[in-house]
Amino acid sequence: MAHSLPDPTGTPGTSTWGRHARLRRAVSALAALSLALVPGSLASSAATAAEEPDPVTLKLALTGDIDSLNPFIAILASSTNILTMQYEGLVSYSAENNEVVPGLAESWETSEDGTEWTFTFAEDRKWSDGEPITANDAAFTFRAIEESDALKQANGSLLESIKSVEATDDQTLVITLNEPQAPNPGSSLAIVPEHIWSEVEDPATFANDKDAVGSGPFTVVDYSATSGVTMKANPNYWRGKAKVDGVTFVPYRNSDAAVQALRTGELDVVGGLTPAQFKALENEPNITTNAGAGRRYQAINLNSGTVNSEGNIMGDGNPALQDVELRKAIIRAIDSNTLLERVLEGLGQPATGEIPAVYPLYHWDTDELPYSYDPEAANKILDDAGYEMGADGLRTDKEGNPLRLRLAGNNTQATHQQMADYITPWLREIGIEVVSESMAPAQLNDDSTLGNYDMYFTGWGIGPDPDFQLSINQCSSRPNADGTGAISESNWCSPEFDALYKEQHTELDQERRSELVVEAQKLIYDGAVNNVLFYSDSLEAYRSDRFEPFTTQPTEGGVILGQNGPWGVYSATPVSSVETASVAAPNPTAVIAPIAGVLVVGGIAAFFLVKRRRATADDRQ
Amino acid sequence: MSSTLGTQDLSAGLASDEPRGGSSWLGYALRKAGAALISLVMVVLLGFFAFRILPGDPVRSLAAGRQVSEQQMDILREQLGFNDPLLVQFWGYLTGLLRGDLGYSYTYNEPVLDLIGTRLGPTLLLTGTAALLSVILGLWLGQKAAWRRGSLFDKAQTGLALVFWSVPTFWLGLILLLTFAGGLQWFPTGGLLTAGTTATGFPLIWDAARHMVLPVVTMVAVVYAQYLMVMRASLLEEMTSDYLLTARAKGLTEDEVRRRHAVPNALLPTVTLIFLTLGGLVGGAVTVETVFSWPGLGYLTFQALSAPDYPLLQGTFVVFSSIVILMNFFADLIYRVLDPRLRSA
Repeated sequence: MAHSLPDPTGTPGTSTWGRHARLRRAVSALAALSLALVPGSLASSAATAAEEPDPVTLKLALTGDIDSLNPFIAILASSTNILTMQYEGLVSYSAENNEVVPGLAESWETSEDGTEWTFTFAEDRKWSDGEPITANDAAFTFRAIEESDALKQANGSLLESIKSVEATDDQTLVITLNEPQAPNPGSSLAIVPEHIWSEVEDPATFANDKDAVGSGPFTVVDYSATSGVTMKANPNYWRGKAKVDGVTFVPYRNSDAAVQALRTGELDVVGGLTPAQFKALENEPNITTNAGAGRRYQAINLNSGTVNSEGNIMGDGNPALQDVELRKAIIRAIDSNTLLERVLEGLGQPATGEIPAVYPLYHWDTDELPYSYDPEAANKILDDAGYEMGADGLRTDKEGNPLRLRLAGNNTQATHQQMADYITPWLREIGIEVVSESMAPAQLNDDSTLGNYDMYFTGWGIGPDPDFQLSINQCSSRPNADGTGAISESNWCSPEFDALYKEQHTELDQERRSELVVEAQKLIYDGAVNNVLFYSDSLEAYRSDRFEPFTTQPTEGGVILGQNGPWGVYSATPVSSVETASVAAPNPTAVIAPIAGVLVVGGIAAFFLVKRRRATADDRQ
Repeated sequence: MSSTLGTQDLSAGLASDEPRGGSSWLGYALRKAGAALISLVMVVLLGFFAFRILPGDPVRSLAAGRQVSEQQMDILREQLGFNDPLLVQFWGYLTGLLRGDLGYSYTYNEPVLDLIGTRLGPTLLLTGTAALLSVILGLWLGQKAAWRRGSLFDKAQTGLALVFWSVPTFWLGLILLLTFAGGLQWFPTGGLLTAGTTATGFPLIWDAARHMVLPVVTMVAVVYAQYLMVMRASLLEEMTSDYLLTARAKGLTEDEVRRRHAVPNALLPTVTLIFLTLGGLVGGAVTVETVFSWPGLGYLTFQALSAPDYPLLQGTFVVFSSIVILMNFFADLIYRVLDPRLRSA
């Protein structure tokens, strides 16, 4: 070894010497770098622990995209969730059970014919900058949307039923409707402060992402694509200032990374977990998981013969599916409880109609579904309806063609393919061949609109008021021949349903309206066009060593994130500082990490040294 | 004769060539620039029409799952210009481009140019660092491996590089993430900076550096193999050349023969490769950016595709393609500067 070492008295210009020096410099730089990097994480966590009086911030994963923080144009879920914390509507939905409760307006009454709604504002409510909140702010907001098409992007549909909006004084807002309606016209629109927005030159392009003024528990301080959204607690929030000083939304493009970030404490709450991620977090120390009742239904849509608004059949759906008996048989052959158990690992609720159980006011609560899983009954239906079973175990339709149906799924949803793998053999059992197809969401959206499908996986997130969801089942909701026009849930049409829809739409008596909504769901169910499989739980996890408790919606078994309101995040309560301090205590990784770092660097150095010796030996040959 | 033209003579050769070959060099550059320009025009044309055949009605996609009325969708169609004939839309796109206006993204409600602007920096930072490290590592290991071909070192290095090269980027990234961010907690789990950070100056750079380690390592691991392999092949070819024998005969050590004669010549083919792959790297960052939540162009493009957001797609397509075309152009130019044979040809 000695002879391979450079002679310190030798000429430094020789190549061997130069190379030695470079190598040594490189190795030592590498060592310095990795040593510096390793304690870096320790130093930073130690620093946060030392600066205890720092503001307490709740860190959430921002897994979706922000399209805008301007409430007039923001439509993506991530943005609207953030805006829900910044702006309140005239009325809100309660955390307990999603019922309509006071928001900016402390009370409201409806005229006898149901066309005039009068909202009364409290006198002492303030915007986050201290200006009073009045009926004029609400009138200004409604008028802004009314007068500009560009501002209709997010909530334009809410105004279609409105004839006029007027602030008769600072405390009173009168909304006059074109016709009576049951859904509260003040429920979904975020009211913006007039004194800010009237100064904005072009409200349609106003980013509204810096030092925003709002009425909700938190307001946006700053947004950037690189570092996410920071919000601070609104000191004037009428229900009282939040217990945390702020909320930070940290962008995560990949939910596995978000799960890791929850483990390391870079995040405090993560939602939208997969069943596998959820199960993996269940036994982690300092982490609490929450499977909240979801407000989304998962279904298989059957093409009952797509008809456009002019009454012509469109698309390439299998004509055999126009027979309601065949559709009922298919539904009876699909075991949705098994799908729920196997694909969702049981993290969901069995379904009845389209309105999930989280909305008890409108949910169709029954154990006895006429077309629940029963393959024998399915076979009998098909036998009775004249679908003959061939020698190959496959039935033929009434024209003698083999019954062969496509089942399309969204290729960004792993569960679709998994469910198709179960459904294919189930339907084979009753003599129907299924070919499953996986496609891009945009393609599926297109195909389903134009009727180019036999069956496809679908689902809708349902709001607290069922009116919209029912409305898209009206005959008039069917699209034009080119796919433009209205949105239809299943391209289904039933005059009986239309009558029921209109009745519930104007029924001001809650009990009666609830009955009508359940009736309407039963009609859709009997139409056998939209086979609702289950309501998946919303899977979340949070750092219970840092924050607890959270108010869920509904309070019994509900969700923390993605609520109809700001309750979950607003209720975040920091765990007392004594306990928090224990987090800063050295954890095993803090000790292991530097040691492992040294080992790695040492290994690399040793490798290079050994190699050096061999290399010089080679060179000397 | 050509074999004695080592690169040590390169600078001298260039100097003596210039007065005579100047105009032809300019002609060469102009020809290449012309070709690049034609490619760019094709990209601009293709960028418009290619995305129009994508499935999915953008307005319906925007409305998907939301409470949207027919009237609202009509307003959107009108605002986004979908009611205009395709040629009118195309004219708008072209005149916009000439003014340096890439249009307005309707998913992000922001000018496409601004959107790309804020994300180009992080992408270039990531891919630039990764490219630099991959080139250095690949070339260095490649020449080592070639010089000692057949040795354990050669086999181990090429084997390892090829394993990384074949590993799915997403998987490797996730493994690194799980181990070094989730498990050991040495590095952050994602992003370019700690969210909500108020740091400035050195702490800010430090923060970014810590965030860069895992994505850069992932990219380098996957990419460096191609430089290693090309450098190795190229050097192996040089090693059979007579001029090395001459060099050895001059009494140079084996080390000097390698470093001063063989390696510089072997570098030539790799230059083109480096520039060609640099363009591709920017596009290849999509996966790494997704795994490590990097706020770059990759994720933006992915979102634009799923919308589909035509102006944004066109914008990213034009930017990506321009980078590739530009890199090709540079590769042509540099290759000619470096390789005298191309000049005399």
